[in-house]
Amino acid sequence: MPEIRSKPFRRLFKPNYLMVYATLGIFLLLYLFGAIMYGKIGFTSIRTFLLLFSDNAYIGISAVGMTMVLITGGIDLSVGAVASLTGMIIAYGTTVMGLHPLLCFAFALLVGVGLGLLMGACVQYLNVPPFITTLTGMFLARGVTSLISRESISIKHPMIDALAGIKFYLKWPNAAGEWVKIKPVASIDLNTIVFLLMIIIGAIILQKTRFGRNVYAIGGSVQSATLMGLPVARTKVLVYGFNGLCSVLAGIAYVLYVKSGWNLALSGAELDVISSCVIGGVMLSGGVGYMWGTLLGVLLKATIPAIITFNGTMNSWWAKIFTGVLLLLFIIIQRAVVASSSRTARKAETAS
Amino acid sequence: MKRGLKWDTILRSKLFWAVVAEFLILLVGFIIRPDFLNIQIRTLEDGTRVLFGTPIDILNRSSEITIIAMGMTLVIALGGTDISVGALVAVSGAIALKFLRWDVLEYTTPGDYSVMPFVYVLVVPLVVCTLMGLFNGTLVARLKIQPIIATLILMVAGRGIAQIVTDGKQFTTQYAPFKFIGNGSILGIPLPIIITFVVVAAMVVFVRKTSYGMFVEAVGINPNASRVSGIRSAVIIMIAYVLTGLLSGISGLIYSSRIISNDSNNAGLGYEMDAILAVVLGGTSMTGGKFTLVGTVVGSIIIRTITTLVFYFGIVSEAIMAFKALIIAGVIVLQSEPVRRAIARRREKRHINLGGELHA
Repeated sequence: MPEIRSKPFRRLFKPNYLMVYATLGIFLLLYLFGAIMYGKIGFTSIRTFLLLFSDNAYIGISAVGMTMVLITGGIDLSVGAVASLTGMIIAYGTTVMGLHPLLCFAFALLVGVGLGLLMGACVQYLNVPPFITTLTGMFLARGVTSLISRESISIKHPMIDALAGIKFYLKWPNAAGEWVKIKPVASIDLNTIVFLLMIIIGAIILQKTRFGRNVYAIGGSVQSATLMGLPVARTKVLVYGFNGLCSVLAGIAYVLYVKSGWNLALSGAELDVISSCVIGGVMLSGGVGYMWGTLLGVLLKATIPAIITFNGTMNSWWAKIFTGVLLLLFIIIQRAVVASSSRTARKAETAS
Repeated sequence: MKRGLKWDTILRSKLFWAVVAEFLILLVGFIIRPDFLNIQIRTLEDGTRVLFGTPIDILNRSSEITIIAMGMTLVIALGGTDISVGALVAVSGAIALKFLRWDVLEYTTPGDYSVMPFVYVLVVPLVVCTLMGLFNGTLVARLKIQPIIATLILMVAGRGIAQIVTDGKQFTTQYAPFKFIGNGSILGIPLPIIITFVVVAAMVVFVRKTSYGMFVEAVGINPNASRVSGIRSAVIIMIAYVLTGLLSGISGLIYSSRIISNDSNNAGLGYEMDAILAVVLGGTSMTGGKFTLVGTVVGSIIIRTITTLVFYFGIVSEAIMAFKALIIAGVIVLQSEPVRRAIARRREKRHINLGGELHA
């Protein structure tokens, strides 16, 4: 039966997937460029590749929640500030107050998810634009962080050290048949695992659950979703709550990464997160986006500073400019895809 | 009857509530520190007499945001946002200082730092910022890209460009004419206030005496209807972004002149947020449509007053954000549609009740 067999094939060429393919293609191109230019000094090593994940795990974890918010047609500017607040709560709690880190994690989760739900409720019930609501949330979180402490507090706690120290070394059998660490030493740390786990969980929620369908439906058209009797209000509020959860997890990942809390940490991280999502093919107008696209977006955005580091002669500000150029490129691709799909839709309409 | 209706419209206008909020904040300041509202004339060392006092300081320091917010009002009225303005402030300052320090080796006499003609220092940053505004406008109006994303490009890349202009260095200057922009005063009034006044006046005249303002509202309320009725919405949108770019450039000159330096990392940091908040506090809706430039000025002054007040409390500067957030949250909740509708409904009810009693 050729028809059935051709269906998944045609699904692969859905216009919405094209943007993810574009991300994948440009990531591969950029990686290839890096491999050709700096392959000799270790750009292609597994270690460098894994560092792309572990160095950007906090951005990636936050991007999971952001993807969902963006698909509903909203935006959340508070993620960096909430992650910073999480870091400060953990640092102040463990170092100054002597509390157990788990207690601090729980408290941070309470604060982050609570703020997320509150902002979601504000967006849904008070009709305040998401941009303004979450901007206020960002100011609030940042201000409270500064009220707790203006100094950077370094964290010294055996459990944090233990968590940050979790590393699974990649090994391979040598000539004698023993398992030894590969050279250069490459390892997968806890942050990378949480990052990938969150991507998988996010993808399952989006693709396989009723909640995920509702998220896409709201992003497509709020009116239609309401008319279809979908729980618009509940879904929207929960999406912001989930994003709060992701921000807190990102904050914990950041704490494990730098082992300190600082009131100005992660300022501007929300833009990194949003641009990662956009580069990954999530559309800010809502309704379109995939978790694996976001994963590729984070990787692609992480590759730019990696290449600049390997280059060694270029200044770090070039990373900003290249990111800007990449954003421009992807926005134009998105625009072209939308234009072509609306043209085919119009053609189909006139044909019928 | 007629008077009651008038009061209703006033009570429903967001601008009225913004002014009330400003007076309440000033009142709080006055209660805490009775000298909060004092204005005095002081004579500086060089004999010039300037106005001095917290209200003057608030006006003076709010000028950067007010100037940017004039353009932002139009952009928001068209249903967009421009988040690149902070980066443009940095670019403007970087270029100005670059021209002031064109060739460090050629300095001849101390004080004469400007090797390039001074006009360059003023004109080139403004031209570059206007072009960047044109870039934003092209993306939004011609390519129909979501404004937040379109301006995100320059927000990310802008600071990188500013750093490339000055090669990542921070220059300072003592060149008197440049210093005068942000620190000088005419007839005792600080120059930034005068510049702001001129900009606001020019914008109000441009928007209300030409048909531009009406077109902006038309496009903001219903882009499709206005296009069908023959308004070239692309041009209208383009002008708003170009103006915002130019005004960010002016603001950048004032900022860099105030600190007589360029700072690619911190110049204009968070200005986009402050400018958007000023617009929203002033009563222009984020969803576009009707706008008020005067309201935006009030909004900008509110933001600065909060900051000043919190300084008076002696609270660390970073924590200001928390207070800003609380006050803004209050204002936003008061201004939000459901709450305003509820207030209006209660007033109407009371009106009807009163009417009934009078008749009886």
